[in-house]
Amino acid sequence: VTGAQAVSVLLEDRLTTLNRAVGLIRRRNFPVRSLAVGPTGTPGLSRLTIMIHSDSDTADRAVQHLQKIVGVHAAVAFPAGEGVARELALVKVRAGRDRYSELLDVVQLYNASVVDDSPDAMIVELSGSEAFVLSCIRALERFGVVEIARSGTIALGSGQDIHSGTLP
Amino acid sequence: MSETLTGSQILCQALLEQGVEVLFGYPGGAIMPFYHALPEYPGLRHVLVRHEQAAAHAADGYARARGQAGVCVATSGPGATNLVTGLATAHMDSTPVVAITGQVSRAMIGRDAFQETDIIGITQPITKHNRLVEQVDELEEAVEEAFFVAQDGRPGPVLLDIPKDVQNAKAEWAGGRSDSRTVQSSGGSGGSPARVSGIEVAARLIADAQRPLIMAGHGILLAGAHHELLALAERTGIPVITTLLGISCFPESHPLHLGMPGMHGEVHVNRAIQQADLIIGLGLRFDDRVTGNLAAFARGAKIIHVDLDPSEIGKNVPVTVGLVGDVRETLHAMLRSVSPRHCEDWRAEIAGFVRPRQESFRGGLSPELILESIEQESDGRCTIVSDVGQHQMWVAKLFRYQRPNSHITSGGLGTMGFAVPAAMGVTLARPDEPVWAISGDGGFQMNMQEIATMVQERIPVKMAIFNNGYLGMVRQWQQFFHGRRYSATPIWSPDYVRLAEAYGIRGWRVESSDQLMPAVREASVEPGPVLLEFMIEQEANVFPMIPPGGSLSEPIEREPAPPLVPA
Repeated sequence: VTGAQAVSVLLEDRLTTLNRAVGLIRRRNFPVRSLAVGPTGTPGLSRLTIMIHSDSDTADRAVQHLQKIVGVHAAVAFPAGEGVARELALVKVRAGRDRYSELLDVVQLYNASVVDDSPDAMIVELSGSEAFVLSCIRALERFGVVEIARSGTIALGSGQDIHSGTLP
Repeated sequence: MSETLTGSQILCQALLEQGVEVLFGYPGGAIMPFYHALPEYPGLRHVLVRHEQAAAHAADGYARARGQAGVCVATSGPGATNLVTGLATAHMDSTPVVAITGQVSRAMIGRDAFQETDIIGITQPITKHNRLVEQVDELEEAVEEAFFVAQDGRPGPVLLDIPKDVQNAKAEWAGGRSDSRTVQSSGGSGGSPARVSGIEVAARLIADAQRPLIMAGHGILLAGAHHELLALAERTGIPVITTLLGISCFPESHPLHLGMPGMHGEVHVNRAIQQADLIIGLGLRFDDRVTGNLAAFARGAKIIHVDLDPSEIGKNVPVTVGLVGDVRETLHAMLRSVSPRHCEDWRAEIAGFVRPRQESFRGGLSPELILESIEQESDGRCTIVSDVGQHQMWVAKLFRYQRPNSHITSGGLGTMGFAVPAAMGVTLARPDEPVWAISGDGGFQMNMQEIATMVQERIPVKMAIFNNGYLGMVRQWQQFFHGRRYSATPIWSPDYVRLAEAYGIRGWRVESSDQLMPAVREASVEPGPVLLEFMIEQEANVFPMIPPGGSLSEPIEREPAPPLVPA
């Protein structure tokens, strides 16, 4: 079944290791949707989340290749639907005073919040699945979107078992 | 006992600790501290090449012949970039090479300093691992890691980039390898056999198959599993196909030996694959030159695939049973489960597929005769290193290899210019037997500067050139698929006999079959490097041939009719 697959990688927090992991994904031509990297609970280790749009065999192959990289401690793949997958977006919207309350209704509807309110524009913060974030952005486009920053998806598999996507 | 040493001295010590005896290299600004220390370590023999590409190929050849890492050394910038083709060659063919490059001093990195290149970035996709050594304290450990990673599991090249000031910096040398190294194992589970359940399923498939085949690749040679392969074949009577890099892993005089598969495989070998109901793939990666059109490859066959690298299982062909593990250990385990059987009917069927060999030449001096004379003169006790192109296929198919690892070539990358420098490494790894570097006139001219290295370092390579005045394989494709338009394939050569003389070595030009044996005999007994030029038919072709993208069932067995209208 083709769909969103999360490939979750624990790796040394060195740019060369990250570069090697991302370079492999490029070189082997995996269909990447997003990349997100950040620290973990273990000092010296980062988690890289690669969302790819493929069948699970392709995602498993990505894992096998990633596991060969020196500096990659563990890697696992799971369908995004079998875990929790979220991204954060910051959306800068033109905030005409005349449509201010209408805009706040949309923000509320999406459980988003206004985190910066300048005279000519405001920044809306929202998080959720990729589809949810896209839906909210579409709703905000009615007011005039100035720019968007998205984190890329991060994900965790359910439960504690490696087969469900939990890394050691 | 500990003493204070420079980074360069530590590097030399660490290389000696790894059992290194030979380095192939070329000095330059950013690696000068290392070369300054080198004379203090007479246990490290340095071979000064004439181009860094040759250093990488020589280290590769050394590694393939010796079964342990070969080492090459270059300076930063152009020295390092010249290693790239050699590292990519080693990477594609899974051979352990450790490359050491000088780098500009740490304070200069990232400022476009003189002879600075990002060799870590450049070589990332073509090395198994690489590392910029940022502190002198980590140098010893970095060298240990490099050799471990290069040789562990599925082998591959590793590059260490060492800034000049790290080479000059001082640190304590404790005199010995650290006791407990915990480098992450990489490239598969080295040394362990595949899981038992899979082996039992495989054994059942082998018992039930009517038309089974073994396809053996480079993994057999890398794992030293030729005895186990022979045992499996003899226990079951299953015929053995050897891929280009698997050649010599199974004795070619053996009645179960079938030959090479794929683009230039013999018709009966490819037909056997297409008719098979079971293929046992051992340490090969089902490369496109082996399978032809994947959709039409061995459609009736179940596939058992044994490989050390889990990412190879199912990469190109769907498998029924994938066994991840060391092929030698896995074969040991299989031999405990596989019952004796025979394949007489199937072998008789395959024998019926055999075609008389298509003449690959016109004129008097054929590749067959040349290779026969070398085989006869050396009594088969020599190592053949081939280059890339038509001669490579003749050398693969026409010499009868009896001893494991007696055939060395650049398979995956197909690197022209490989044979001459690689043969230098092979010769140093195997000083007691003749080593032949066989090239075409194109590939030879890519690295013929290394004759000077052989003379200076007294490396007695027997160089042979199959001279047809063309880049023959490309010309063959042009003849078959591009309407005989010989674009940029005619190639002029110098007078090789006089070239040999200019280097102070002996050379022979062989133009007819009656000159053949005397020249090969004289060349064989000559102690130093020698050069033999064989003038072969200009438009000789390699037959049969599966057209690119075609299936193994559609070989081309003769030249196409010339076009009605000249191209």
